[in-house]
Amino acid sequence: MELLSPRSVRQKLVGLVLVATLAAILVAILAMIAYDLRLYHTSWIADLETQAELVARTSAPALAFDDARVAQENLELLRYRPKVRAAALYDARGKLFARFAPDPELTFPSMPEADGVRLDGDDLVVFKRIVNDRETLGTVYLRADYELYDRLLGYLGIAAVVLVAAMLVAYFLSRVLQAVVTRPLLAIADVAREVTEKRNFSLRAQKLSRDEIGMLAEGFNTMLAEMERLNAELEQRVRERTAQLEYTNRELEAFCYSVSHDLRAPLRAIDGFSQALVEDFPKELPEAAQRFLSRIRSSTQRMGQLIEDLLNLSQVSRVSLERQEIDITEIAKQVTADLRGREPERRIEISIAEGLRAEGDPRLLRAAIENLVGNAWKFTSKTERPRVEIGARREGAPPTFFVRDNGAGFDMAYAAKLFGAFQRLHSNTDYPGTGIGLATVQRIMHRHGGRIWADAQPGKGAVFFFTLEPDG
Amino acid sequence: MAEKFILLVEDDADDEELTLRALRQAKIANEIVIVRDGSEAVDFLFGRGGHAGRDLSRMPAVVLLDLKLPKLDGLDVLKLMREDRRMALIPVVVLTSSSEEEDMLKSYRFGANSYVRKPVEFGAFASAVSQLGIYWMLVNESARR
Repeated sequence: MELLSPRSVRQKLVGLVLVATLAAILVAILAMIAYDLRLYHTSWIADLETQAELVARTSAPALAFDDARVAQENLELLRYRPKVRAAALYDARGKLFARFAPDPELTFPSMPEADGVRLDGDDLVVFKRIVNDRETLGTVYLRADYELYDRLLGYLGIAAVVLVAAMLVAYFLSRVLQAVVTRPLLAIADVAREVTEKRNFSLRAQKLSRDEIGMLAEGFNTMLAEMERLNAELEQRVRERTAQLEYTNRELEAFCYSVSHDLRAPLRAIDGFSQALVEDFPKELPEAAQRFLSRIRSSTQRMGQLIEDLLNLSQVSRVSLERQEIDITEIAKQVTADLRGREPERRIEISIAEGLRAEGDPRLLRAAIENLVGNAWKFTSKTERPRVEIGARREGAPPTFFVRDNGAGFDMAYAAKLFGAFQRLHSNTDYPGTGIGLATVQRIMHRHGGRIWADAQPGKGAVFFFTLEPDG
Repeated sequence: MAEKFILLVEDDADDEELTLRALRQAKIANEIVIVRDGSEAVDFLFGRGGHAGRDLSRMPAVVLLDLKLPKLDGLDVLKLMREDRRMALIPVVVLTSSSEEEDMLKSYRFGANSYVRKPVEFGAFASAVSQLGIYWMLVNESARR
């Protein structure tokens, strides 16, 4: 597997060299073998034809004088050519005249064939007419070993050994020499790895060669320089923006502090002295004046509540979020106990599911639950059998909590306005409020990564759902 | 009882009058010394500046301290008091309009005994002031004794 899918340039280079070497050596060896075998074939045939010619010449007189003994002796001289396995002479009528074969098993053709050389199994067979003064005296027959396959096998053996030796040499040489190519590449790769690991754009690759890899190193360095510049620019910009934001934040905090402190003081004076007037001059003040003063006082208090709610809303965005395990059931119980304490005369059925738990900021979540439960409490004030339920939907993730009431409800057509600051769906006379509570609650849910939505019907009640984690 | 007095550190004339009114309504008849800013409060407590030569054996039974004051702010005054042995144990009630939690935490850290947010509504304001006044003047036995 490693060889088929190399992991490194080094392995690829060695592989390339090996494949190229293999191909070159194979072609060279095959060419040499082909050439040699052809040479062997032609020279062996030429040799055998010469031999046949020789036998023909020396045997022509014996045939002419019908001297079988001399012919036999001539043939037997061929034992000095061990590769000639059989030889025979046929007379002019094609009858076997003399024969020679060291191997007695061999059979001879009964009739001579036409002149020529042909392969017969592993042997080469030659027929040659004996001609004297245009008169055919007979035919020479020679059968000799044809060792082409043995030779081929021998060559292949040598080729295999040469191939293995060459591949080994090529392998070790390329192992040594690939460094020339890979070292500059690996140097660049090392720098690239270090840059990504340490996020250090000031590193530079060394240019180790003047070839394409050298150009790569140069290009890589140019890119690094550009990235270093951009990064520095970006960091600078982030620093500037952060400083701006911090400044704005401080301004905002100072502003909120002023609002909280300075806007309230005159309100307190208006309220306090209105009260003082009523207390100190009960006889002098006509009833209408007293009524007006009480209107002044309730407006002042309303203004005070508005300031308070606005500050809470802005605080939700400013304070840092501290997530911890929170017992929502417990908080809901405390909140409802507070409400009952404030208005003990109200008869209201409250059911709180046990074991409601969530991760969140305890202060912000308490504020959110106070708002939601407070709303339910407020909007059921004119309901006959008021009921408030706090629970969680069992199915689905993230966990969805809800606060349900059977109070005034609202028209879902206005649902989009529900969570906007100062947006109210009921008149202040019916249900007093500043219209900031749900905006604050929504901001609290958003800061937790969750969301809040509602479902309602006018006169039937409302249910507010919320999550404290992102969906999905 | 006559030597027991309250030091009220308040820069807002309206708040001052309302506080006095609330204390009166709570039937607190003790002398009330009023100073207008943080540095005057320090001068009074340490017998310096305009209050040089004041009898320093007479110390307030309780200090009602506004936080947002001209010159030195309330927390600075509180810090200076707590660093001085003679004043380390005088009860200090921080009275403020601020609803910043940070202010409350700092006040307690610097050694305030109570922290009261001045409500807009006078009734609530009066009852907070009077409860505090009664508590610190009558119920709480001063540590100096």
